Amino acid sequence: MSQSLFEKVWDAHVVEQLPGGNALLFVDRIVAHEITTPQGALEIEQRYGDELFDKRRIVAMNDHVSPAKDTETAIQAKVLRQWAKRHGITLYDIGDNGICHVIAPERGHIEPGMTVICGDSHTCTLGAFGAFALGIGTTVQTGAMLAGCVVLERPKVMRVTVNGRLGHGATAKDLALYVISTLTFKGATGYAIEYRGEAIDALSMDERMTLCNMAVEAGGTTAMIAPDETTFSYLRGRENQPQGEAFETNVSRWRALRSDPDARYDKELALDVGSLRPMVSWGTNPGESVPLDGRVPADADKKSLEYMDLAPGDALRGLPVDQAFIGSCTNSRLADLRAAGEVLRGRKVSVPTIITPGSQAVKRAAEKEGLHDVFQDAGALWTHSSCGPCLGMSMGVVAPGSRCISSSNRNFPGRMGAGARVHLASPTVVAASAILGRIASPEELGPIVSLEKVAAER
Amino acid sequence: MIVEGKVLPVDRANVDTDQIIPAFLLTGITSTGLGVHLFKGMTGGPDLLAAHPDASIVVTRENFGCGSSREHAAWALADRGIRAVVAPSFARIFQENAYNNGVAPVTVDAAEIDALLAAPSLKIDLEAETLTTPEGRAIKFSLDPLRKRFLLEGGYLDFLANKRDAVRSWLNRDHVRPG
Repeated sequence: MSQSLFEKVWDAHVVEQLPGGNALLFVDRIVAHEITTPQGALEIEQRYGDELFDKRRIVAMNDHVSPAKDTETAIQAKVLRQWAKRHGITLYDIGDNGICHVIAPERGHIEPGMTVICGDSHTCTLGAFGAFALGIGTTVQTGAMLAGCVVLERPKVMRVTVNGRLGHGATAKDLALYVISTLTFKGATGYAIEYRGEAIDALSMDERMTLCNMAVEAGGTTAMIAPDETTFSYLRGRENQPQGEAFETNVSRWRALRSDPDARYDKELALDVGSLRPMVSWGTNPGESVPLDGRVPADADKKSLEYMDLAPGDALRGLPVDQAFIGSCTNSRLADLRAAGEVLRGRKVSVPTIITPGSQAVKRAAEKEGLHDVFQDAGALWTHSSCGPCLGMSMGVVAPGSRCISSSNRNFPGRMGAGARVHLASPTVVAASAILGRIASPEELGPIVSLEKVAAER
Repeated sequence: MIVEGKVLPVDRANVDTDQIIPAFLLTGITSTGLGVHLFKGMTGGPDLLAAHPDASIVVTRENFGCGSSREHAAWALADRGIRAVVAPSFARIFQENAYNNGVAPVTVDAAEIDALLAAPSLKIDLEAETLTTPEGRAIKFSLDPLRKRFLLEGGYLDFLANKRDAVRSWLNRDHVRPG
């Protein structure tokens, strides 16, 4: 029988069918961070003799607030550290860590066909590898640490075919915002999305991760992309992957992980991105996004408008911003930093700008290319890797009423700080906006270079 | 099991988990004591709670619990004495977390919400899957048959612990997976 990519991965992991459309699903990889893991680690220690099902399937990292900001977060990091050490679990810690969804694939822990869970909603990022990867709560993660499985209701499958090629300054982030604004903030609830099509084939792994990262912002359980040569090239030679013939044997197995031609889907959506332009959010969820040249819709949600201090018909381009952030599990990989660097090179930011790489390895790779000089010459703060300002939990909190243009994934009320107003965009739009102090696209910067020259001559 | 109590009307859609409990309050290593932080991330949230101090049923609009996977949202609701959330739809992860923490996710038609937001109290029979308004009107809803057990009795982790042998034999029988 013909199967979709999702069905192939799902069926290979069903240990037992359970009542109500649920399955006992085997989990190949558990990614464990310091905010949502300690509670479960302690519960297993207290109630189940500290016995883990298979420690080799777990990778851990201190990432959300690392280094710790206070005593409480220091304790979270310590509990995770001690737990990992006690069980011999691979741990990425201060100096060699990074955001879970950046570092897990970067260090070769994610493969096509795997099932992956993490106590973080953006785990769908890892579906970019053709894995079934999803965010879950602490109890469900704890159950997987204890018994190797999750209880999960089988999602429906939505195929999203993306025709055309990205151009005109549009990036994977803009595609993600476009998809979410089309589906709405809850339009993919109950679905696993499968992305396919010409535009998807052309994306790098970094870009595919950006796209899949935001599936949860449409309510999706996950997004998946069938593995191809781009995927295999990314994994070939990577640490924690088998090398040589053993790896190529895996590749030949992974080639079967694509939807059969007559696979059936519960829902289908076809988009053409040939004319897509950079997007920006205006409201308080990522579905409330429009093209950068667009305006706040006439039927905009009143509570969103009130929070964002906007009115229907307001233009997004030109809206003054107070702060800028490039980073987060959506847009903090080397490709994102390179793109931002192209815009920032030789220019100056005019508002406080924070650039946070997704991992220490990304940081070092960026520095080998001189990007740290580009960013710092532009007047931006170049930080260590972490989740950073994205969730208003540690550094870079945005003040009430201030507007922040951000490459992150959530513009929720209070997300980056109480009363903070967040506009989501691509790293290049964030960089251009940071320079101009208002929401702007990079193409506006042509004249700015000459203005700078004028200023210098004066 | 019957949940009968006063309503906390949260008249907005897309209440994300950052609004239910903001990230800067997720710095603990236990699941307890989070009720004091409930709705601290929502504009007017603390005032709303102060106006309904002994409410045990949240009524709200679509897509409740969207966003972050933080189980702290369900922990904060449960710790504050919230036993059920009535909404037209829920985000997946929140719904799973709610079931696992004794907070019933009660899905009703969106057309019912205006009336339920105005109701001072509600009665919810979780076994019979029926919600009753103060005027005596009954509205049926359905719970996941497996998770209903976790909701009423707890025991998600024990359920999984009891599956360990079956999982091991499944692994030995059919599957050699990357470790």
